Amino acid sequence: MELSLLLQGGLNGVMLGLNYALIALGLSLIFGIMGIVNFAHGEMYMLGGYVTYYLFGLFGLNYFATLIAAVIMVGFLGVLLEKIIFRPLTTRPKEALTSLIAAVGLAWVFQMLAVICFGDLDKDVPSVFKGIINMGGVVITAERLAAIIIGIGLVVVLNIFLLRTKVGKAIRAVAQDKEAAALQGVHVSRISALSFGIGCGLAAAAGALMAPIFVINPFLGGEVILKAFLVVILGGMGSIPGAMLGGLVLGFIESFGCLFFNVPTVSVLTFTLIIIILIVRPQGLLGHD
Amino acid sequence: MIKKRIAVYIGYIALLTLLFFIPLITSEPYVFHILCLIGINIIFACSLNTILNIGELNLGHAAFMGIGAYASVLLVMRLSFCFWSALPIAMIASAIISLPIGFLTLRFRGAYFLLFTFLFAELVRMLLSNFWIGLFGGIPGLTNIPRPSINITGLLNINFSSNIHFYYLILILVVFTVLIMHRIDLSRLGMVFKAISQSESLAESIGISSMKFKILGCAIGCFFAGMAGSLYAHFVGIITPTDFSIHAVLAPIAYVVVGGMGNVFGPVIGTCFLMIVSHFFLRQFGLYELLMYGVIIVIIIRFMPEGLISLPRIVSFLLSKPPKRGED
Repeated sequence: MELSLLLQGGLNGVMLGLNYALIALGLSLIFGIMGIVNFAHGEMYMLGGYVTYYLFGLFGLNYFATLIAAVIMVGFLGVLLEKIIFRPLTTRPKEALTSLIAAVGLAWVFQMLAVICFGDLDKDVPSVFKGIINMGGVVITAERLAAIIIGIGLVVVLNIFLLRTKVGKAIRAVAQDKEAAALQGVHVSRISALSFGIGCGLAAAAGALMAPIFVINPFLGGEVILKAFLVVILGGMGSIPGAMLGGLVLGFIESFGCLFFNVPTVSVLTFTLIIIILIVRPQGLLGHD
Repeated sequence: MIKKRIAVYIGYIALLTLLFFIPLITSEPYVFHILCLIGINIIFACSLNTILNIGELNLGHAAFMGIGAYASVLLVMRLSFCFWSALPIAMIASAIISLPIGFLTLRFRGAYFLLFTFLFAELVRMLLSNFWIGLFGGIPGLTNIPRPSINITGLLNINFSSNIHFYYLILILVVFTVLIMHRIDLSRLGMVFKAISQSESLAESIGISSMKFKILGCAIGCFFAGMAGSLYAHFVGIITPTDFSIHAVLAPIAYVVVGGMGNVFGPVIGTCFLMIVSHFFLRQFGLYELLMYGVIIVIIIRFMPEGLISLPRIVSFLLSKPPKRGED
């Protein structure tokens, strides 16, 4: 095994991992704040991809403007969903269950709307950054490198937002204890809507980053949500650093695993590894229960 | 009170008679195909409901249906068992496999249980599709599964290859399942399940070993999931690992929730309502079918959280006049 091959695997792992981390961050944020397992999260990723396809691919808008537009549009959709559907459910008994099923229904609705509006064929988004970068035998296309850099940028911005700003502190306070946060004057329902929007926006950002690299189709969400679940389980439900670590771990496992074994073996190994981790540490790698 | 009870029993008997004589009204094979699928889904939804009764949602429930299906088919096709012995063995196998899984996963509650069972379902699907292909048939699955038949020389000879005959078989098994579920619901065991789902720590404080009963509830649910799997395999004649993936459990979850969670008849009503609406009315809308399906689920969850079973209560509440002041 050559060193360059290992480095290559590592770079691909980082790219995949950041992608998974971005999706899982949103899922984890929503779970931490509202206790909702948002099954429709993969569809937000898919919608982010389609926004990129139309704004960037067809109308020729600037890529970064498209990225921001995707985050804002899908984020706004998330806020609407929270206000109209999920918030009223949280006051009822068995809220985790009913909101999960509402999310499953929504996932179907979005998937079918996408098929009806965009067609069920694969769509190809033109690449943004052309060219190949060769770093001493390790080859990476410019767009993959850009996806890594923008992904890292988004994670850093999110962390600064959560750790340093007042709104970010309010979000973390609500995640820790709703009543106590409300007593301190935090507007809990507004914060929930905002975090739902941010979560969905992050998934859309991941979709917009990955759209030029892979193809997009209406059924993308189903595969993505599986990966995001794995990451969230691995890192710990509701833990932001956990989602990032979990994403990177999953990315590395997949990328290195495929170097040594075939794909089905890798999947089974991943699942077994995660189940073993959970038996030893049920709250996930960085979760706290 | 007694009058009301008699009326309820007469209602059940009338419904059963109607279901029994449906072949006189129509003999369209398609109708019976759908009716059989509805029956299988009712059994599956009821089994899912048993696990919901202990307060958990099993996202990997379809995997247990798959275990039942594969066990039964392998027994019949590879070891040439007859269907009537393979069915109970498949059910028991499903229940037995659920014991260690339940022991591992039921330590977690809520979202963790959900995600853990989801992992299990994916693991089973991947093992079935990629490993021991000679035995399990890989991704294409197993085909040419024979329909069951009863053959006692000189006495009985029923071949279930016609949909109408299979319909009667399924009708009997659905009634059997619903009766057992009803019996459990009324028994002490049902009370224990409800107590655990409402407050586990409170239940433990009055001496209920909640872990033991949760594993038992899970095993009962998986037992009937095995039955649904075996029936499905022999009815449809072909099984593939994707039939039992995580996506296979989402529709039944919708049946249970739309009908009414926690109630024995909730899953029955929900399955009948959604499957009849989807197969006989929405099918002509093509692509819009799943869309409307999703919309119906979201609307019912949002505005009728206790499901269709609470409809009579809501209607009577809306129709009743508000009580006058000072009356109560």
